[in-house]
Amino acid sequence: MTGSFWRYTLLIAGKDLRIEGKSREVLYTMGFSAALVVLVFSFALSNATDPAQGPITAAGVLWAATLFTGTVALARVLDRERENEAIRALLLSPAPRAAIYAGKLLAVSLLMLAVEGVLVVLVGLLFSAEVFAHPGWLALVLLLGTLGFAATGVVFSAALLRSRNREALLGALLFPVVIPVLLAASRATACMFDPLAPDLEPVAFWVRFLLATDVIYILLGLWVFEPVVSGE
Amino acid sequence: MNLPPALSLPTMPTAPAPTSTRFLAACGGAFLLLFLACLAVAEAPLESVMGLVQKIFYFHVPCAWLLMLSTLVCAGGSIAYLFRGSERGDRIALSAAELGVLFGMCVLVSGPLWAKAAWGVYWQWEARLTSSLLLWLMLVAYVLARRYGGTSARRLAAALALFAAVDIPLVYFSVRFFRSIHPQTTVVSTLGPGMRGAFWLSLLSFTGLWFVLMSLRLAVENAQARIVELEVLLDQAEEKKS
Amino acid sequence: MTMVALAYGFIWLAVFGYVFTVGRRLGRLNAELEELRRRLERTKT
Repeated sequence: MTGSFWRYTLLIAGKDLRIEGKSREVLYTMGFSAALVVLVFSFALSNATDPAQGPITAAGVLWAATLFTGTVALARVLDRERENEAIRALLLSPAPRAAIYAGKLLAVSLLMLAVEGVLVVLVGLLFSAEVFAHPGWLALVLLLGTLGFAATGVVFSAALLRSRNREALLGALLFPVVIPVLLAASRATACMFDPLAPDLEPVAFWVRFLLATDVIYILLGLWVFEPVVSGE
Repeated sequence: MNLPPALSLPTMPTAPAPTSTRFLAACGGAFLLLFLACLAVAEAPLESVMGLVQKIFYFHVPCAWLLMLSTLVCAGGSIAYLFRGSERGDRIALSAAELGVLFGMCVLVSGPLWAKAAWGVYWQWEARLTSSLLLWLMLVAYVLARRYGGTSARRLAAALALFAAVDIPLVYFSVRFFRSIHPQTTVVSTLGPGMRGAFWLSLLSFTGLWFVLMSLRLAVENAQARIVELEVLLDQAEEKKS
Repeated sequence: MTMVALAYGFIWLAVFGYVFTVGRRLGRLNAELEELRRRLERTKT
């Protein structure tokens, strides 16, 4: 990747994050809906009194909430480009398409990670999970899981920019593809939250799986973003 | 058809004109091939542990193979469409995706029926079953995107097909890398002589069936493309007349 | 025995259900093609 690629990537990500910094619209709406999702799960699962279920439930809820609110982030960050034909301006700029993809990926991931920080605390409180037992591993899993989700999400959101059925279709198309990421991340997280787990070997396994999946998804995203978006 | 030079469009892709005998041929071909597979299975010896239920394997595995083949062909067509603008690639991708949904359904129905007899449960969230279900869901999503996605649907679906193709090695190798209750991939090479022949014959018949169904489905796509061509020519002809 | 019959039965039904659905659609498209060709011929006369 050349220097100009990274320069454009940071420019585009910076633009989205600066807009977000001023209005904080996406951050507040995402954060609020994420918290609500966790609360809903907390009510729905309140009869699960088996203590051994605690870490698995907590991890599952964390990642389910992340998935749903990530969809919101994707729709919003790319929706901005629909207004005033901003996407056309972006595509006509000298920025390589791959850099547009990487920039959007970076922006969406950072927004999601900000909300996930809040989610982790909330899940720890509501499900009595030991969320800070292994902070380093947790940070790594959150990062890899988020990247895997955003890598596919940016491609599909961009493709759906002009579509009428955007909201309905994004979920339908995105979820089957990101389920392996969700699975790996929640398995790793469950192991970390479990005080009775003998070691962190499963975490290491799932982290390797996530790493491989992320590399494949990001490379694929970089490759197909241009033809998918060029039709716009 | 002899058209005046002014009305012919040399740059338009010419789709081959379909024939209704294709449908009859497809019916006949499908019946013959499925019947052949059934014969092979009937001739195969009974397995010692599972008995008759084991024979589901002779249909289940070829259907799984066709699910993966369909995904691969769909991805190939999608690449041709995305990077070379190939309309033919796009038609092949859509047809393959539909066949993937069809044979995926067959895998996901036949598998649990066998599983109930073998493991006592219809379903388990283990690696191969989960990844196969996901692959099928992605192909369903592809077909839905094509039908209801609007104008940008083709490119979007093509991108989805490529992500779906990534799932194929996961489906195939999952039984090796994850602790799994599902039979290993090596089971085929350990089959007895009577069973091996039946298995390969069944696999061959099903693959033949796939080609027959692809040919029929592509005929529909080609017919639609031809209709669009003729409508354009008709518009031009009527305009010239008036 | 039931399981085997169900599995095989489903596959046969699915395959032929698909063949007939696609075949019917092909028939409709062929009819439309024929109509378009006739209209095109008429514009030449």
